[in-house]
Amino acid sequence: MMIAQDRITTSQAIVVLVNYILATGILTLPRFSLEKVKTPDVWISVLLGGLIAMIAGVIIVKLSQQFPEKTFYQYNQEIIGKWLGAFLSILVISYFFLIAAFEVRTMAEVTSLFLLEGTPTWAIILPFLWVGLYLISSGINSIARLFEIIFPITVIIFLLVAFLSIGIFEIDNLRPVLGLGIIPVLKGVKTSTLAFLGPEIMLLLIAFMQKSDKKKAVKVVLVGLTIPLIFYIITVVMVIGALSVDGVLTRTWPTIELMRSFEIPGLIFERFESFLLVIWIMQIFTTFTITYFAAAFGLSCLLKKNIRIFMFALLPVIYLIAMTPKNINELFKFGDMIGNAALILFGMLPIILLFIARLRGVKNEA
Amino acid sequence: MWEKVVSYIPNWTVFMQGFLAFLIPYIIFNVFNQLKSEKKKESQKETNPNSSQAPSEHYTGDYTLDYERIKQQIGHNWDVHFREFLLGDTGVRVAIIFLDGLSDKELIEKHIMMALMQNFTDEKYDESSFKNGEVLQEFIKNRILPISDLKEEQDIKLSATAVLTGSAALIIDGISNALILDIAKGKSRNIEEPVSEALVRGPRVGFTEILSDNTALLRKHGENSNLFIINFKVGQRSKKELIVAYIEDVADPNLVEEVKRRIQKITIDDVAESGYIEQLIEDNYLSPFPQVQSTERPDRVFAALMEGRVAILLDGTPFALVAPVTLGMLLQSPEDYYERWLPSSLIRLLRYLAASVTLFAPSLYIAFVSFHQGLIPTKLALSIMRAREGVPFPALIEALIMEVAIEILREAGLRLPKPIGPTMGIVGGLVIGEAAVQAGIVSPVLVIIVALTAISSFVIPQYNAGITLRMLRFIAMFLAALFGLYGVVIFFLFLCSHLVKLKSFGVPYLSPTVPYRAGDWKDFMVRMPLKMMKNRPRLLHTKDSTRRKD
Repeated sequence: MMIAQDRITTSQAIVVLVNYILATGILTLPRFSLEKVKTPDVWISVLLGGLIAMIAGVIIVKLSQQFPEKTFYQYNQEIIGKWLGAFLSILVISYFFLIAAFEVRTMAEVTSLFLLEGTPTWAIILPFLWVGLYLISSGINSIARLFEIIFPITVIIFLLVAFLSIGIFEIDNLRPVLGLGIIPVLKGVKTSTLAFLGPEIMLLLIAFMQKSDKKKAVKVVLVGLTIPLIFYIITVVMVIGALSVDGVLTRTWPTIELMRSFEIPGLIFERFESFLLVIWIMQIFTTFTITYFAAAFGLSCLLKKNIRIFMFALLPVIYLIAMTPKNINELFKFGDMIGNAALILFGMLPIILLFIARLRGVKNEA
Repeated sequence: MWEKVVSYIPNWTVFMQGFLAFLIPYIIFNVFNQLKSEKKKESQKETNPNSSQAPSEHYTGDYTLDYERIKQQIGHNWDVHFREFLLGDTGVRVAIIFLDGLSDKELIEKHIMMALMQNFTDEKYDESSFKNGEVLQEFIKNRILPISDLKEEQDIKLSATAVLTGSAALIIDGISNALILDIAKGKSRNIEEPVSEALVRGPRVGFTEILSDNTALLRKHGENSNLFIINFKVGQRSKKELIVAYIEDVADPNLVEEVKRRIQKITIDDVAESGYIEQLIEDNYLSPFPQVQSTERPDRVFAALMEGRVAILLDGTPFALVAPVTLGMLLQSPEDYYERWLPSSLIRLLRYLAASVTLFAPSLYIAFVSFHQGLIPTKLALSIMRAREGVPFPALIEALIMEVAIEILREAGLRLPKPIGPTMGIVGGLVIGEAAVQAGIVSPVLVIIVALTAISSFVIPQYNAGITLRMLRFIAMFLAALFGLYGVVIFFLFLCSHLVKLKSFGVPYLSPTVPYRAGDWKDFMVRMPLKMMKNRPRLLHTKDSTRRKD
């Protein structure tokens, strides 16, 4: 296995997790959660969703820490046997490349809507896939380093544009707080939890972490989820505060609309959606590459072949899946499906696995 | 149900595209792999041209025979001089063989020949030791020749080689050795300020073409008994001296070993300049980025040594190599440390800005003008559009014309004789700037952008790093013309993907940017006060990490 020499540090693990979580959610979370909640209290559901994700993440970490030198693909067979384990691995691998395909397609949809009208989707997707392949071909360390470049750029630009949009922010749009009670808020929790999909990468990441850092994996999950939580809350509060509840519901990509709806004269740029789109494309790229890598790595663990083969073999698969949804509504439905699968796969399963592992006393201290 | 499933099966074009998605990178990957493996094969081939040579011949002590033999070896050369004379008043025949131009003629005449030809009046000397070769040789070595670097050589071939590198060979009748006197004296030039790396503040000293001068410059930098200067010979047909310098109690021994290993692996006929070494020891020769720093400044080399890096100096070139190098280093100038920290930091930030302008300005122009007019402020968009009204070309062609023109101008400026260089620069600049706009070929906005890009690229202290960025700028322009802003983002991601993969002697090329090393950031985008820079860069795994103790 290539794990041995390819280690990442705690801070790299945090950055990978943050970059993985931040993806489509920045653009769609306000509308999706508002559709369910229908009151301005969405930020509370986002907060709850983040907390739930943290709990799930901690459970995943606890499970993985039982086998600090192994990835999920390797240790699940020790817990529940060869065949069931292999089956689980296949499920997880499929999940990862489905997510990759979903992210790629969403990126292509948004890009062709806002940046490249008339450019065929395949032309947008293919270079994206290839750059991703180029990056992951040298392993987790390069991936982590690229994420470390993208992370500060994202933070700075995001905070900048969020801060600039404060001009059209109306606190009244967020009132009343809990006007209809707690029930609507709870309705949105599931949707907002889905925006925090990402802690599952810890199933693999712990095996890649440096030996001395493995004990800090819980910290990785907590910090790695807090940062996107702050991002999401800022997004939701800003978007609803500026566009109002009704305004958000009628727009497909409310966050971009928010950026379009204000102008700051006197600066070189008056509108900032291009900035947001740039960091957003980068964030999609990070999510795409890490899931693509996770899938390829899983296949190579499962079939015991060189990872290169699977990197190439997955390209057409991801492309075909990405092209399958016929329109943007089907794409969102597709996203929902993956999300639901993730809730079962990574919400329930780790608890069961952890339980079985403890029961059978399988442990691997290495 | 079935129909629904069928309706989701994409048509054949999508399958074809999917296949393409796999095929194109697969082909590229294989081609590149082929290139890499070919290089490996080459380096694995052990070439040994010296092994097939004739068995070595030794001196016999018979003067006439030895003389004829060495004459056979090198006598056909015009610049090899043979001078026969008699040893003092003894009548022993002696020949001195030297190279005109390389050997110090004055020294030969005034000190060597004079000493040998005069009558020996020493009382210890008596007739009996004449015929006995050994005594004579010891006597000449110990009492007659005032030469510091002297050795005995039995092999005719090797002594011939020594003569060709500037030593003088002394053959004495009755002695089965040749005395090799190292009296080489190359023509050296004065130490001047390096042309390509001028500073406002800092030593006005640059390396020269003489290796011993260069090592002396390093030694002169300060008393340091731990400065190790290890020599190698490179080149198989034409051998050259090469020096690896490092500070023994600072540099990571693994790094030193790696540098030595790579130098020993070099198999090439001739090394013309340190650029050859650079290209033969770099990690990835397909990368556009220089992975070894080349510099003419001794102070820069010494600063790098103190950080735990390794320097490589080659005879015959003023350019020393420093490894490992990181991208940040290419944007630093020694002056950053000589001036106070605030101005230095600001200037350094300016350089980072200039580097990104060089890379992205023309591509962003193309992206915004041809794809996203909506994203720039309306007034600015209007004035750009108005300026572009008469321009018959798409933005890419327009930008390409100008960028290529300015590159030609730059290259021409290098080659032009010094007196007419500036004139031609002004004329060329005027023609390109004014006349092209007047003729309606390009828009004035673009001229501004191109000029800005060109000037920015020269802000980068390392000439070759500037070229790299200018080169990559064209890729960015093509991608911007294809995909607009999205293309620029893809380019950025691709560039970063490449950079994070790149390593220079095991050190990540982008460090200390990534992986995060907060300690090393004191000397990265900004240069913190020297009082705060207590440690050497951590990424180099130095033996002694503290620079200053309080």
